[in-house]
Amino acid sequence: MVPDLAQRPRTLGDVAALARRASWRGRLGRWSLHVTLGILSLPLTLPYLWLVTAAFSTKASFGLVPTGFTLRNWRFLWEPNLGFVSGTAGRLPNVWQVVGNSLILALGTTITVVVVTTLAGYLMSRHGFRHRERVLRGALMLQAFPGVTLLVALFILLRVLGILNSLVGVLLVIASLHLPFALFVMKGFFDGIPWEVEMASMLDGASRLRTWYSVLLPQVRGGIGAVAIFAFLWGWTDYIFVLTFILRRTSWTMALYLSAVIGEYRSVDYGLLAAVGVFYMIPSLLFFLLTQRHLVQITIGGAKA
Amino acid sequence: MAKVTLEGLGRSFGSVVAVRDLDMIIEDAELVALLGPSGCGKTTTLLMLAGIYRPTQGRIRFDGVVVNDLPPQDRNVGMVFQNYALYPHMSVFDNIAFPLRLLGRPREEKKRRVGRVAEMVQIEPLLERKPGQLSGGQQQRVALARALVKEPTLLLLDEPLSNLDAQLRLLMRVEIKRLQRALGITTVLVTHDQLEAMTMADRIVILHNGVVQQIGSPHELYHRPSNSFVSGFIGSPPMNFLSVRIARVDSRLVFQSVGLQLPVPERLGTRLGERVGGDLLVGVRPEDVRISSAAARDALEGRVVDVEPLGRELAVAIALGAQYVVALASPDFTGRPDDPVWLVPSPERLYAFDATTGRALA
Amino acid sequence: MRAAIPDRPRLSARQRTVRRRWLVGLFLSPFLALTLLFFATPAIITIALGFTSLDMSFQGGFVGLTNFRGSLSDPLLPRVLLNTVVYVSGTAVFSLSLGLLLALVTTHVAERVGRVFRALWLLPRLTPIVVYALLWLWILDPTSYGLLNTVRAWLGLPPVDLISAAPRLVIVLVSGLIGASLGMVILTSAIRSIPVEYIRAARVDGASSLSVVRYIILPLIRWPLAFVLVFQSLSLLTSYDDILLVTGGGPFYDSTVYALYIFRRAFQSGRYGYGAALAVVLVAVGAAAAALSWRLLNFKQMLAAPKIEAD
Repeated sequence: MVPDLAQRPRTLGDVAALARRASWRGRLGRWSLHVTLGILSLPLTLPYLWLVTAAFSTKASFGLVPTGFTLRNWRFLWEPNLGFVSGTAGRLPNVWQVVGNSLILALGTTITVVVVTTLAGYLMSRHGFRHRERVLRGALMLQAFPGVTLLVALFILLRVLGILNSLVGVLLVIASLHLPFALFVMKGFFDGIPWEVEMASMLDGASRLRTWYSVLLPQVRGGIGAVAIFAFLWGWTDYIFVLTFILRRTSWTMALYLSAVIGEYRSVDYGLLAAVGVFYMIPSLLFFLLTQRHLVQITIGGAKA
Repeated sequence: MAKVTLEGLGRSFGSVVAVRDLDMIIEDAELVALLGPSGCGKTTTLLMLAGIYRPTQGRIRFDGVVVNDLPPQDRNVGMVFQNYALYPHMSVFDNIAFPLRLLGRPREEKKRRVGRVAEMVQIEPLLERKPGQLSGGQQQRVALARALVKEPTLLLLDEPLSNLDAQLRLLMRVEIKRLQRALGITTVLVTHDQLEAMTMADRIVILHNGVVQQIGSPHELYHRPSNSFVSGFIGSPPMNFLSVRIARVDSRLVFQSVGLQLPVPERLGTRLGERVGGDLLVGVRPEDVRISSAAARDALEGRVVDVEPLGRELAVAIALGAQYVVALASPDFTGRPDDPVWLVPSPERLYAFDATTGRALA
Repeated sequence: MRAAIPDRPRLSARQRTVRRRWLVGLFLSPFLALTLLFFATPAIITIALGFTSLDMSFQGGFVGLTNFRGSLSDPLLPRVLLNTVVYVSGTAVFSLSLGLLLALVTTHVAERVGRVFRALWLLPRLTPIVVYALLWLWILDPTSYGLLNTVRAWLGLPPVDLISAAPRLVIVLVSGLIGASLGMVILTSAIRSIPVEYIRAARVDGASSLSVVRYIILPLIRWPLAFVLVFQSLSLLTSYDDILLVTGGGPFYDSTVYALYIFRRAFQSGRYGYGAALAVVLVAVGAAAAALSWRLLNFKQMLAAPKIEAD
């Protein structure tokens, strides 16, 4: 076999040259990767940076450069009802009332979704009851009806039920529309508990209900946490449903409040907008920071489901 | 045409030292085996030769030129991975041609060279298949072909036979050796199977916990082990070790332990003379122990514990005093558990090792 | 000696069935109640509504297929459909490419750096949609205050009102940045699951990092790539809240996609019946597209799924 001499490093010089080239290429490669990441992420980092700096600086100036620290942008927290700039009748609702509404909505959604799916998720995972397949398939099929297609019907339904224009109505809608997804997630967590644990508990004398409550629930704490976080965010960040179903200003949530502030103060006082934005974002940010790894896993699990 | 030199080679992962101070020269066209139990550093060394790991100490030279800083893609090394690592989305032909494709060789040349290598390992009819459709043995040959197609300076094999069934193993052992001899490529092979190393390699490097125990030909390792680890690792069934004390009885040197006394052979006696009263390990291979059911002069008396049929012969486990040895006997040996039995270890085939360091004393 | 088993009331077979049913009921009824009431019922109502001419004053009656036929002659619909096609395909491709790029880059830098950037790119998905829209409104602000126009000023260009000038581009960018995070997460996991042996073998064969990406990584993540593309396209068909907040669907109807058109017809023009009919069509199309793509994906998966080496 005739070796292909052209390919092999022959001399010290060859090797040194190859090594230099490789190391240079390596360093350039790494550097350019970091630069690429930085540049790609600019459309992300700049706006969020602006949000924070604008919330605390006076007078809207060029983009990012903050000019003077101020807390005046945060006046919506202590000045009760800001007026509408455009002279529309009435004033913006008190932001604390709005926060209260948002909390009611978010926590209500969370509790509803968690309770309902931990109950149903257990059953779906464990109990071979007669209509199990049908329920699962039905849940899957309902996913074909995304929120937007049901808006009108829901509007009418809520009106008929007398819960239009109320937080409870919105809460129930948000929770219900997300139930199939949350169910799959919880079911997944219940599926992960070995059969033996449940058998052992029942042999020890616990009823199914007791088993569920004392033995299985603690095991799916991770799932409950994940679903709770999702549900809270769904409730806290929702815009479409509160926009469509809530007509009374006193029942506004933060989404509507911010949206109104944007509409009114957009060309006038970006600082105020930014402050409200940051204020609104705090819980989302908190959840984000505390639960990063968790969320990534669930996103993948949910997508695969 | 590559002589590979390892100078003081070392590799640590954090505080864990995987390879320590490895020095050796691999001659051109030689087949060297890195042998040792798992975790001994042999695969780490192989990966350093490939350039996938960088040494944290020492140097690697190809034909005298230091290649530490060369990345794998520039070393012109061919490697067969333990699980073959055939690209599952490419056909066999494309797998083998991949190195050539990366070099931008023209199509005719690729066909020619792939064809030639495929012929060498006898996989021509498989060229259009995908790896998932091949058996283990076939996959290995494809991996071999891929490693050889670029006419590498050095061929590296990571546990090439461990994933094959017994029959295929015998076949491939011969095949690989034949191929390596015919092509004259310097080859380094990693294995934990001492039989594999003994039958295939020109020289063997035995490693234990990252430290070289001995480097030598199979014959040297078998007959002149440098320590107890090497002698216990090479050979199957493994060497017997007896913990004994040297004593002087009637002006003769003897190895003594509970329930046994063995005269020290003359050639050892000269070297062990000053160790009278001390402890050491005596080693003797099962095949060097003659076993009989009748008492004999200078024989050690023991009790049969178990008899294992190996087919061609029997492996008899025997209790000698408070220790155990295994001896090989012909199939017509009639001893049964609890029967008394007499052993005569061949005096020329006794080894002595230091009790604490394991170093061979003679 | 008898073992000390507590004396429990033995239930008859019938009692056990009753108890079982009660149990199932307890566990399942909240789910069933909510889902049937607020999910299934509206679905049925929507379908029924499509055949009426109900408007916001709740007047109107059964009109058969008028709504459906009317949509064929709706002058705005062709533009809306075009917007939808541009939006869905543009955003899907954009966010997939961006997600793939991010996945590739963050897996090739140091682990800690990669994790920071991946966490950063999850931010859009976690930000309340109204706040996210605010950020985009700032970026696209037509005065010199907006980020885009600030950059243009540095380059010596006059300010531009991108929302008016290129509304479709705007909605693709807005949705694309959110969508990139999903692709990034899934593709990163896919890239990570490629056995490291293939990469090492490729390097020994002579491949540079770029060649490894091109010949080994990309072919082996074909299925997750297809999955993300299809999944995102399907969900883009029905997304519109970010569009509503940033461009309002305008100017006029220039950035209104089908889902937003339903919303505008129903709640801005007050034509409930017509909106419902449009919604029914969307559901049908969406379901058909989903069914079709599941077929295609399963087929693809069988062809492209890499088999881990047998041993």
